[in-house]
Amino acid sequence: MSSKDKILGIVKNNQPPLSELPEVPAGGASRGAGDPSSGENADLSAAFTTMLEGIGGQVFLVSGYDRIAAILREQHPDAGRIVSGCPELASFGEISAHYDDPHTLENVDLAVLHAHFGVAENGACWITEDQMIERALPFITQHLALVLRRDAMVADMHEAYTQIAKLEETGAGEYGFGTFIAGPSKTADIEQSLVLGAHGPRSLIVFLLDEGVSDAGFY
Amino acid sequence: MNANNKDHAALADEFNKDEPRVDWHDETLWWVRQKRDRAAAQVADWEVLRDTASRIKDNVLSRLSEYLQHFEAAATANGIVIHWAADAAEHNEIILSLLRQHGVDQMVKSKSMLTEECGLNEFLEEKGVGVVDTDLGERVVQLAGEPPSHIVLPCIHKKKEEIGEIFHEHLGTPAGNADPQFLTHAARLHLREKFLTRRVALTGINFAVAETGEFVVCTNEGNADMGAHLADVHIACMGIEKLIPQRRHLGVFLRLLTRSATGQPITTYSSHFKRPRPGQEMHIVLVDNGRSTHLGRKDFRSSLKCIRCAACFNTCPVYRRSGGHSYHTAVAGPIGSILSPNLDMKKYADLPFASTLCGSCSNVCPVKIDIHEQLYKWRQVIVQEGYAPAGKRAAMRAMNWVLSHPAAYHTAGKTGRWVMAHVPFTVNNGLNVWYKQREMPAAPKQSFGEWYKKNRRDHEQQR
Amino acid sequence: MRVGLFIPCYVDQFYPQVGIATLRLLEKFGCEVVYPPGQTCCGQPMANSGFGHLTQGCNDLFIKNFSSFDYIVAPSGSCVLHIKEHLHGADDAAAAIRSKIYELVEFLTDVLQVQQIDAEFPHKVGLHQSCHGQRGLKLAQMSELMAPPFSKPERLLKLVKGIELVELDRKDECCGFGGTFCVAEEAVSVKMGKDRVADHLRHGAEYITAADMSCLMHLEGILRRQKSPVQVRHIAEILNGRS
Repeated sequence: MSSKDKILGIVKNNQPPLSELPEVPAGGASRGAGDPSSGENADLSAAFTTMLEGIGGQVFLVSGYDRIAAILREQHPDAGRIVSGCPELASFGEISAHYDDPHTLENVDLAVLHAHFGVAENGACWITEDQMIERALPFITQHLALVLRRDAMVADMHEAYTQIAKLEETGAGEYGFGTFIAGPSKTADIEQSLVLGAHGPRSLIVFLLDEGVSDAGFY
Repeated sequence: MNANNKDHAALADEFNKDEPRVDWHDETLWWVRQKRDRAAAQVADWEVLRDTASRIKDNVLSRLSEYLQHFEAAATANGIVIHWAADAAEHNEIILSLLRQHGVDQMVKSKSMLTEECGLNEFLEEKGVGVVDTDLGERVVQLAGEPPSHIVLPCIHKKKEEIGEIFHEHLGTPAGNADPQFLTHAARLHLREKFLTRRVALTGINFAVAETGEFVVCTNEGNADMGAHLADVHIACMGIEKLIPQRRHLGVFLRLLTRSATGQPITTYSSHFKRPRPGQEMHIVLVDNGRSTHLGRKDFRSSLKCIRCAACFNTCPVYRRSGGHSYHTAVAGPIGSILSPNLDMKKYADLPFASTLCGSCSNVCPVKIDIHEQLYKWRQVIVQEGYAPAGKRAAMRAMNWVLSHPAAYHTAGKTGRWVMAHVPFTVNNGLNVWYKQREMPAAPKQSFGEWYKKNRRDHEQQR
Repeated sequence: MRVGLFIPCYVDQFYPQVGIATLRLLEKFGCEVVYPPGQTCCGQPMANSGFGHLTQGCNDLFIKNFSSFDYIVAPSGSCVLHIKEHLHGADDAAAAIRSKIYELVEFLTDVLQVQQIDAEFPHKVGLHQSCHGQRGLKLAQMSELMAPPFSKPERLLKLVKGIELVELDRKDECCGFGGTFCVAEEAVSVKMGKDRVADHLRHGAEYITAADMSCLMHLEGILRRQKSPVQVRHIAEILNGRS
């Protein structure tokens, strides 16, 4: 008898009587009452920003990709190799659809990638492998920047999974690998002292794209 | 008992010899408990969420065989190879054989308490395979030659000066440098070289989704991802109980896990692995190792709902003042004390007694395991199975006899008080464990019963 | 109403004044209180040590002594919790007992609904939340839960004139007594007790009170060893006006 059969046999024999699944919250409890237009999502992007800044990320509200390039040049003046997953930033960094060997990305200083949406309750961004170019890239790069539409925001993780399902239905968000990224990599393993920059990127910038935003006063 | 045959009480006694260090350990972990409280307070429906998670896991246990088969089918369809390991030995052999198949003798590993439970590192080292633990805390204890003392904060028992010394010895950092920032950066460079050169990466699994065949690995450091995405072979290990039914259930668990564990709203990375990278092999090892047996224990099966957050460790006043190594088992703390006796009742007979049954653990548990009630019930089982020390058994029988016979009880009480009052040195001495650090209570002339008889005779009970 | 007074074995032997205070307090609020002299113990020390199967003798004695009352009241959260959860007997008698046994604070609050107490205690007092009463009998909200705060013992204490309750750093951490734990795991038990005492002392408590004398016995042992002037008082003593 295979281990599988042995295990399943004992499990089947020993499992308790059926216990029904509970209702799972739809989410959005933290949303205020109001219509789901940009007004309300502007609220979410404010909450998202506060959250992410609190965990060591930086957030910039920008009107376009020129602003993104300018801010990145300012924030990372010494960046050597820059890889861009955004065709809009073709002149800013190297653009490639694919790298045969992820090890060759070892010396990337800065990677700029699109993400699907942000989660206000924890400052996380959902990004799937088609946006990463290679799965290793968002981790192996020294510094990471993600670009989101400002109104691509959900309130919490319940709404996040609803959104992930929606993205999959449209084909845009089907994934073999996806991840939530909430801030730069970090550890507090040494006497609970928080250190930013463990094995993943040492910093994270998230750009919230909103064409309607005025550039005056931002950066 | 551990290798030296010392039980929790003896090991905790040793731990308590250094009182300032106990204070430091206790305060550090209490601080983590407080962070958990603050994070939980920010979630409006926290208690509802706990209840939801608890009931989802109840459902999982009640349909586990079905979910396991569903998961296997879905993951296999996604291109993942599934292995089944009945016990720790089989788990270890499966991993070894995968390594041999690929002609590899070096591996990186991110945190997996399951592999700790199976003794994987020791097994592989013996077979000539080098394993590098890449979680910073785990790397520290690996270099120190110790097991982790906490399932989420592996080297919480180590001071930064000690870590500095370990890194000086093994990584060549300057002697005396204990700066966490500097040491972390040194570890980053040291481990980056490992990520880039190892072809096989092993990770744990926080949650596996039956519906879609995907699994989630949560880290702050990004080490699981650095290992997996650079390796030709990604092996992921999980206990068979780590399933959840549907992907949307992740919303519930990911909201609870890290808040309960460290007080963060979420880990930096919550990585969803569904298919291998093109050209990569992805394997999952499903491990039983006593879980299917435990599933049959009516009073104890709900401990299989555990999502390994360690909130119970951080809140436990005993854990904080005795340290994880006092539990001499892979998973320590309150949850470990109700899981371990299933693995080896004799070896872990002491653990359910390493508690005052205060109940704090049950109330921080995100999946509402009745830990303190199971501790009590394990005590009954352990005694019934014959693992109580003989002296205790005799003392209990004597106590029971006295307390079942009012006249004997009154005599014993009166005698005891007389001795305490008139020949205190017979009680107040080194043989009296209470007396080591506490004064005995004063011995009153009259018990309450005697006072009542004398002063309230007219209120004799009517039967 | 006829109340059967259940006095825990160690209160009977070492702290009779707590039993006396409990008796007088209940009588002040109009109860007819009877103390069945044949009582001994609830059986908890054995049950918590894994010897629950030996407690039938204690259980039967308890049922025999207490079946005839309207209520059973004890100045001990842990004993009452034990009876509520673990008293079993052959017939309905055990179930009846479980439904009418109360710890003192919950009896005063929920049954007698006390709104006024004629007592004075002009001192700084630290309230120790004994675990079984708090988490088991829900005498007060626990810090682990995200739920509205409340505290039955605190409410009663605040009815006492002149009392000043001190804030603690850790409101509901266990004292470390834990029954046979106090000697089986002596090092951890004492360390937990010392830390509780230090918390109270840091905040200027002159007295430490609780609804369980077992906790106080343990803390007092440590206070006396430290030669501290701080004293312990069971809540019954304070509510009954002993200073």
